[in-house]
Formats: sequence, C-alpha cells, structure tokens
Amino acid sequence: MAEIDPGIVDDRRFTFFAFIGEHSSKFFGHLGKYCALMWWTLRNIHNAKEYSRNIYQQMVTVGNDSIPIVVFVNAFVGMVTAVQSAYQLYDWIPRAVVGSLVVKSVLLELTPLMTALVLAGKVGATITAELGTMRVTEQIDALEALAFDSVSYLVTPRVIAGMIMFPILIIFGDMVAILGGLIGSIAVANIPAEAFIKGMKNSFETWDAVFGIIKANFFGFTITSVACYQGYFVEGGSEGVGKATMRTVVLTCLAVVVMDFILASVLL
Amino acid sequence: MIRIKNIWKKFGEKQVLRGVTFDVLNKETTVVLGRSGGGKSVLLKMIIGLIKPDAGSIEVDGKDVTAMTYKELRGLRFKFGFLFQGAALFDSMTVGENIALSLRRHTGWTDREIKESLQYALHVVGLDNVEHVMPSSLSGGMKKRVGLARAIALTPRYVLYDEPTTGLDMETADGINLLIKEMRMKLGITSIVVTHDIHSAFVVGDRFAVLENGAALMTGTRDELQNSTDEEVRKYINSSLPMAEGHRS
Repeated sequence: MAEIDPGIVDDRRFTFFAFIGEHSSKFFGHLGKYCALMWWTLRNIHNAKEYSRNIYQQMVTVGNDSIPIVVFVNAFVGMVTAVQSAYQLYDWIPRAVVGSLVVKSVLLELTPLMTALVLAGKVGATITAELGTMRVTEQIDALEALAFDSVSYLVTPRVIAGMIMFPILIIFGDMVAILGGLIGSIAVANIPAEAFIKGMKNSFETWDAVFGIIKANFFGFTITSVACYQGYFVEGGSEGVGKATMRTVVLTCLAVVVMDFILASVLL
Repeated sequence: MIRIKNIWKKFGEKQVLRGVTFDVLNKETTVVLGRSGGGKSVLLKMIIGLIKPDAGSIEVDGKDVTAMTYKELRGLRFKFGFLFQGAALFDSMTVGENIALSLRRHTGWTDREIKESLQYALHVVGLDNVEHVMPSSLSGGMKKRVGLARAIALTPRYVLYDEPTTGLDMETADGINLLIKEMRMKLGITSIVVTHDIHSAFVVGDRFAVLENGAALMTGTRDELQNSTDEEVRKYINSSLPMAEGHRS
C-alpha cells in the first residue's frame, strides 16, 4: 500500500478541511468533558445535605451579593421601557397601554435576559476565577488528596445555588423593573399611576411570570455550570485563569441569548 | 510498601517519565532527586491517583493504584498525607479550618475532639495559637508547616512531600528538614520526598532515587549514592552540592 506523503497536510486544498476537523475535534472534546463534569455534579445531588454549608455559602454569594446590581439594572430597564413605550405611542392610544407593555416586556424578556447577562459577568466570572485559582495553586489537588470528591464539594453547590437563586433574583428583578416602569411613567412620560396600574393589571398573566422563572432556572444552570467547567479545568497559571474567565463571560452570554430564543420558541 | 514499576508518562509532545522503577520501603524516607521539570511531582501525584500514568503500575500495600476506581482511590488517600510545593492551603479558610476540614468530614468526632486534634497537629509542626489566622498572613515556612499539619491530621501511614524546602531561606528549610525526620522517628511515617535540593535530600533521606531525563538513573542508600561511580550520578551530585553548601556558609 502506498504511503501518504506527510507534506499533503500542508497542501492548500486541504487546509480548510483540516481546520474544520481540528476545531470540531476540540469542540467535541470540550463538550464531552463538560458533560462528564455535569454527570459527576448531578449524580451527587442526592448528597446535597452533606454539602449544605457550601450550598448556603454559594447561595449567599450568588444571591445576596448580587441584589444591588440586579436592583440597579432592573430599575433602569423598567424606567427605559416605560419612557420608550410612551414615546412610541400615538396620542389616540390609551396611556394605560404603557403599563401593559412594561409588564409584558419585563416579565417575558427584559428582566430575565438583562439579569442573566449581568450575572453571567458577575457570578460566572467570580466562579471561574475562584475555581481557576484553586486549580493553579493546587488547592483542588489538595482537596482530592484529603479524600474529598472535589466536584461534589466545589461544583455541585455552585450549580445548585445558581439554579435556586437565579429564579429568586429574577422575581425580585421583575418587581423592581415594574416599579421602575411606574416611576418612569409618572416622572418622565406624565402618565398617571392609575393608568399605568390599570394597564398592568389588564395584561398581567401568571404564565408570563412563570415563563421568566423557568428561563431563570435554565440560565442559572448554564451560567454556573459553564463557569465551573472553565475554572475547574483551567490550565496555564494565572494567565490561564484570566483567559478562562474571559471565555466564561463570552460563552455564557452567547449561551444565554441562544437559550432565550430556544425557550421562547418552545414554551410560548 | 510502595512499588513503582516501569512508569511512563507523556504530556503533549513531551515524554516526562520513561520507565521509572523503584521501591519505597516501610518506615523509611525515600528521596526522589532530579532537576526541576523532570517529572518528580508528576510521579508523586501518580502515587495517590491524581494523575494516571500512560503505562506501568504503582502498588501501595500490594494494590495497584493505576487500576483502582475513583471510589477505591478515595479510600486509598486516607493512608496518605500530601505536602504540596506551595502548601496549597485553602485561602478562604483559617489555619484551623484548613486542618479541621478533613477531620470534620471523615471522622465523626465532636468539635472538642477536632479542636484538640488540630491543636496537636499544629503543636507537632511547632506552631501554636495560629488557628484563627488566615493563610495569607503566614510566611512561606509557616504555610508549609500548616500544610504538613493538615497532611498529618488524619495520622496517615505515608506522607508525600513535594519540594518541601523550595523557596525557603536556609534556616526555615532546616526546620522543615528536621520536621520530616521527626515525622519518621516520632510517628513512624513512611515518606517520599521529591526535591532538587541535594543538601536537604542528604539530611532527610534513607534511600534515594535519582531521576534524569525521565528515567531512574540509580536507586540506593545514602552510601550507594555517595559512592556511585556512574558518571551521570556523580555529575548530578557534584553540580548540586556546591550550591547547597554555598548556602550553608
């Protein structure tokens, strides 16, 4: 059988296919490793009681510590939605419609999406930096050497905390955004509070809020799990931690917008 | 007893270990000597299953570590204490919490028993009243002592030391060397020390394995190492000794 000339890989006709092959191989390698990590994370979820202290600590970090930024962002999201809705409405359209628009937009899309994007930066980056630093300073190896299951100890509590706290933060964000919308309507768009509340009540549907909470759950899992994966398997010292943190923010933001579309297509 | 047989390991294109073979006898301190980046730390991590070799076997008390499941590995790790090169203390916890972590998880002891045990471990390494201090406030030598206290808290049979004196001044390094000797004499612990510091090796070691280009150049006792006629071994000892002695003066 004739041998393949090694120089053939440098042939320009094959560069494109070599590129596709190399990168798809890397992609599936990462995907496989991510799935394996999630398998180890979820298979120990029944032992959550054992890690209750860690879960509580992570809930504080993911939840309580994120409240100020969630309040700030959603207050402005509500105000901007109210002001822009009022700007786009013609004079003959009842002003109460602003309340309807704000509540629909906020519950279905704006609060879950904006909160998730902000938390992708805050929570995702924090988790990757923490785990990455633990990896490069051998703290994860030390945990394993002390006969701990490092995935159950470090990853499972973070993912559980994300899945619990994201929906709570988004419920909180919904309330702040609607309040912000009310304030924006009164202060900037000269819409009476009664009209805003009337419009809000007319268009409110429980499913809209539930849909936002379901999305929050998916976003919470995606952001914390991707961040944990990037941090847990970090390579290359402190420079590697920096790159992994950047990758977490980019990947989780992309994952959130794609998942937002998929969930809207499937559930609405 | 630990038997390391024909271990091979490659990272990417770099062949780090090439058929390393030697035995670690009970209640002795075996020193693995070699240049930085020569795969010594990798070998140490392989012994407790943190890294899997490409080929070869590592037997601990007759059981092959390379063939163990993750659950079996966790069981095996109770027999070991590991002092990492940078101590690897959990920086979000106090010194006391670092040591108490494994005691709380693995023993079922009361808070009082845990406190007594961690205070004893700290006392053994010559540190008292530092339980409430954060690791970031400690010097390099103190961190290594705390790392050692954490490693011995569960009274392991074996302690693995990864470059225990690297980055320390000579006085602190001597203190750590003394501790390693005491661990063997007082607690009867079997130790493996990996280092490139030949002075430290001669202070703590009973048996020696010299790694060069990923293979064990020689294994033997102190006398065998000192009287070795192998040119590479002599070159290694002679190139390392003046530096170590220079530090002494």
